[in-house]
Amino acid sequence: MCANEQCDKAGSRIRKSAVNHPWRRRLFERIARANPELGSLLIAATSAPRSVRFIGWGSEPAFSTASLLITTAACGLTTLVAAGLFQFFDAANLLALFMLTVVVVSIRLGRVAAIWGALLSVACFDYFFIPPLLSFAMSDTQYLFTFALILVIALVASEVGTRLRIDARNARAGERREATVARVARDLSGALKVEQIVKICVETIAPLFEAKVALTLPDLRDRVHLMGAADFGDLSVAQWTYDHVQRAGRGTDTLAAAQALYLPLKAPIRCRGALAIQPRDWRVLEESDEKRLLEACCSCIALALERIHFAEVAQETLVRMEGERLRNSLLAAVSHDLRTPLTAIRGLAETLERGTELSAAERAEVASAIRNQADGLHRVVTNLLDLARMQNAGIRLNKEWHSLDEIVGSALSRLGPALSDRCVRTDLPSDLPLLEVEASLIERVLVNLLDNALKYTPADAQILIAAKAVGESLYFFVEDGGPGLPLGDPEQLFEPFVRGQKESAISGVGLGLALCRSIVEAHGGTIRAEAAQPAGTRFEICLPLGSPPPIEEEAA
Amino acid sequence: MSKPRILIVEDEADIRRFVRMALEKEGMSIAEAKSAEEARIDSACRRPELIIVDLGLPDSDGKTFIRELRTWSNAPVVVLSAREREEEKVEALDAGADDYLTKPFGVPELLARVRAQLRRAALLNPDRPTSPVIHFGDVRVNMATYEVRKGDEEVHLTPTEFRLITALVRGHGKVLTHRQLLLDVWGPGYVDRPHYIRIYMANLRQKLEREPTRPEYLITELQVGYRLAGLDDRA
Repeated sequence: MCANEQCDKAGSRIRKSAVNHPWRRRLFERIARANPELGSLLIAATSAPRSVRFIGWGSEPAFSTASLLITTAACGLTTLVAAGLFQFFDAANLLALFMLTVVVVSIRLGRVAAIWGALLSVACFDYFFIPPLLSFAMSDTQYLFTFALILVIALVASEVGTRLRIDARNARAGERREATVARVARDLSGALKVEQIVKICVETIAPLFEAKVALTLPDLRDRVHLMGAADFGDLSVAQWTYDHVQRAGRGTDTLAAAQALYLPLKAPIRCRGALAIQPRDWRVLEESDEKRLLEACCSCIALALERIHFAEVAQETLVRMEGERLRNSLLAAVSHDLRTPLTAIRGLAETLERGTELSAAERAEVASAIRNQADGLHRVVTNLLDLARMQNAGIRLNKEWHSLDEIVGSALSRLGPALSDRCVRTDLPSDLPLLEVEASLIERVLVNLLDNALKYTPADAQILIAAKAVGESLYFFVEDGGPGLPLGDPEQLFEPFVRGQKESAISGVGLGLALCRSIVEAHGGTIRAEAAQPAGTRFEICLPLGSPPPIEEEAA
Repeated sequence: MSKPRILIVEDEADIRRFVRMALEKEGMSIAEAKSAEEARIDSACRRPELIIVDLGLPDSDGKTFIRELRTWSNAPVVVLSAREREEEKVEALDAGADDYLTKPFGVPELLARVRAQLRRAALLNPDRPTSPVIHFGDVRVNMATYEVRKGDEEVHLTPTEFRLITALVRGHGKVLTHRQLLLDVWGPGYVDRPHYIRIYMANLRQKLEREPTRPEYLITELQVGYRLAGLDDRA
């Protein structure tokens, strides 16, 4: 039983009965009495019924009446054959035949059968073939020697046979164990997620021991939790096992009253958790081979867990480094793309301030230039803020079911005046399903793509916005009839701060497309650029459709 | 006709300045407040016909001011929001604001919104004779007979579609949030089902707009709500 109790006054509430060894009780009491301020946790291990099964000769074939009957039959057969041969051969030669029978029986059927066989053979030989025939009377004492010899041979043969069988069985068991460990190791080495390890535990390791198996793993604060859909397992025992890196639970000295056995998952760096196992037959786990096998499995699991842990650490580091790199190039690009319009705005404003000699038309021109620069600046800042948001908390999208029509309409009206002298065609089927997206972000994607189309194509090039639903996806195109993509890999366009034309006079960081990609990917979609037919550029966005919420139909 | 009295509540001096200059040029009379406290006093003693409120005020939340104002005044409120956060605009609109402008905004935009709100306030004047027939573009809706015509053709609307257009007409010129429309058209049980509105708005646009993806009247304010624009003033 397990006494597990927090005491305020330690000395007074020790559960004495729970402790077996008198010296241990005294020590515990001494400690508790000497330190009354300590809350004491007494964990006692008492008589867990530890049945030790005497296995003895272990692999000796079990004694059975069947084996004695077979031996008897073999001896009878030998006697018949010997009787047939008696007219041709000398009795001494027939003895060899009986010896052969005894050896074969001894090797195959074990010690008891060997002794019985030796006895029976000598008796038959004496009775049927030694004069006086058909009597046990022995004329010559030398046959006593023969009998002793046969008995010894029988015993030696049975021993050799037994050993051979043990060896063969051990070899088979070892082979099975190795194959199992190899399989578990192979499965675990392929595991990339903790869930996969849980699955391997349940599907491969559990049947191996005919047991229920549960994995408990620590969280960031080192509290263990049951993984997967395990329906048993005592977290406090698992926690103890994990904290002390020692086995606990049934069959051990610690918390032996638990329903299951808890094994620490020791990896080279540290303990990675605890494995709870509850076999249907507890005797299985008492065999040393099975224990070793279980420990091997635990090591494999621990190694796999450690590998996954470090893979995650490496991944995080990579992400951080990538973020760092991005931040640096961002700063460089931002300082350029923010300062340029700011310089222009400031210069133009000062021109207005001092330029008393400017004509009204010139003043209007300067003012509109300031406004254009401010608009450009606004675009850059908006993209920057959105990108920062996407990269900070890109996952927390404020998704709702939207119609693409509205998003397109909103993007078109946002670009408003800039689009007014361009030919923009929309081709959106009226029966497009709703999309679960954050509308303002998808609008930003569209605005950026349209903005690019406006910036990089001549004024007479047509712009087409089209969409179609195919299977589970919505394909969405923005196509222009401009000069097309620059040479090189179109994928590069989506890298932050890459522009098709290096150092062009057209303002705007190469942020637009990078932002588009972040947004589309955060929605679980893809975006790519390709050449349009017959000329121009075509951006294709693919978004998953999902299943829109139902809507009650009304009678028309 | 007397000059319309406008109150600007904004803590940033330059924004106040350009808004004042733009509106004064339109022949309006302007009062300025730098904080919610000043705004409370000014709105009470000057009785402005329209109030422009920045949501980020130093002493209090613009939304609280709007909520208080709505307890005693129907003067239209246009909100200035520096943030791109749609929820804030929605909250301000639900608190009683009529329209919003996102910073940075331009003068033409500002003037258009202010004029539209003043016109709407004048239309709501109870002394004005009302007509059950309203027009926008070539669409004519007769609220009394449930008759809807586009050009010369009769348009068939479902009962829900008609309730939706009625709600939009009642709040024309104003931005109506999804919540307000859902409450008005479908009832309280539907407040968290904005996809209903999207489907029905799409239907309405298909039936009433010339080019549904570039609507002229049934305008989407993305993630905020809808407005009916271009309502004809003739009674």
